[in-house]
Amino acid sequence: MIVLILYLSIGVGLLALLTVLALRKHSPVEGSAHLFVEARGSLLTLQQGLLPSDLIRRIFDRRDLEYVTGEMPAGIQRLFLAERKQISVQWVRRVRLELRNLMHFHRGHSRFHGEISVLTELRLASSFAALLVACRFLETVFYFRGPYAAPSMVKATASAAARLCATSEKSMSFLNAANLRPFAEDSKRGNATI
Amino acid sequence: MNLLSLILWWMGLALEFVILARGLQTRLVAKYPYFYAYVFCVFGVSAGLYVGSRLSGDFYNRYYWPTQFVTLIMGCGVILEILQQALESYAGAKRFLRSVCLAVVTVASIYVVVKITSNLSNFESSAAVERDLRTVQAIFLATVLAVVFYYRISLGRNVKGLVIGFGTYVGISMMSLATFAALGQHFQKAWGFLQSASYLFALAVWTVTLWSYAPNPVPGRGRSDPDYQQLSGQTRDKLEALRNHFNRTARQ
Repeated sequence: MIVLILYLSIGVGLLALLTVLALRKHSPVEGSAHLFVEARGSLLTLQQGLLPSDLIRRIFDRRDLEYVTGEMPAGIQRLFLAERKQISVQWVRRVRLELRNLMHFHRGHSRFHGEISVLTELRLASSFAALLVACRFLETVFYFRGPYAAPSMVKATASAAARLCATSEKSMSFLNAANLRPFAEDSKRGNATI
Repeated sequence: MNLLSLILWWMGLALEFVILARGLQTRLVAKYPYFYAYVFCVFGVSAGLYVGSRLSGDFYNRYYWPTQFVTLIMGCGVILEILQQALESYAGAKRFLRSVCLAVVTVASIYVVVKITSNLSNFESSAAVERDLRTVQAIFLATVLAVVFYYRISLGRNVKGLVIGFGTYVGISMMSLATFAALGQHFQKAWGFLQSASYLFALAVWTVTLWSYAPNPVPGRGRSDPDYQQLSGQTRDKLEALRNHFNRTARQ
């Protein structure tokens, strides 16, 4: 009976995928320019805005909580917790959004390249999936248990996201303005060269 | 053979004929050769079995399974066609899928070959082998679909129809064969009906979706992007204005 259930599950899974295919709207096909720019923006936002350890320490530092609970009246404590919760939820939502942008860029980019490494692709896909799930989990935890409920998971997620950003940066190095050669100042009259 | 089975059989033959005739008329045969070879093979087998069963009583029972395995193997060509057509413009996705599928097919083929060589004598074991081969096809198709969804690849009407038709037939066929292998002769009538009905559904889908040529959308890779064209147009205008300005200054 277990074998039968296994076969039926595979069949139902295939039919479900076919239904999704039949109902799916047309996907965008271009690896369009705005996708590159958007991905570059996401990378900068993550690296410089959302993942620096100073910022994470500021949002999730327990000493703030200890100070407020020790020194302040109950109303201020409630206000503090509510605002910190809102900030932490916004932070994790934004991280997830930017990670999704990066993931879309990678999928759009790597599908054209015949020399991709299958193992790297699998590793990247699993990393993105794990991070997105972790972000969603953190959002739920922050929402129900407050911003200080999962400090070790926040650290692990932030460091995993930073590693992924470093990998993405390598594939987007051509978009760095600093890498472009400056204007050469050796042009002849009427024949400008760059 | 009851009347319902006969009606399904005739309808299947008629649709196969329409698909083949239309494929020749629109030259789709050249675009999807494996698929049309499969339909041609099934058409030949179905017509042959029908004529044979009219002439001799046990012809159908004697030749059903051997011919079924021929069409089953030809069905793998349809999957190859899907793989080739769906990922034609996506070298990265194609390479990724090939590696994953190679692993799946190698393991599954070894298993199936061992099973076929060990026992193919009775009806139940033949059904079990077909079930296992259909399972390989189902896993293969599911992997193709997972890659298509992951890389957000757009499929044209033709390839979409090939996938939906063949996938539905393979999925229902596999489930009915698995149930038949588990329940035995009690399920034989229902199994026969499900097999024919799902294949008829596939034929109907193919008739509609392969009526005319509808290629997959070709990825532009940014060059045809509207904002790129807009930017280049604006730059050209500014350069033109600069040139006019310099010309005027030079004349003064």
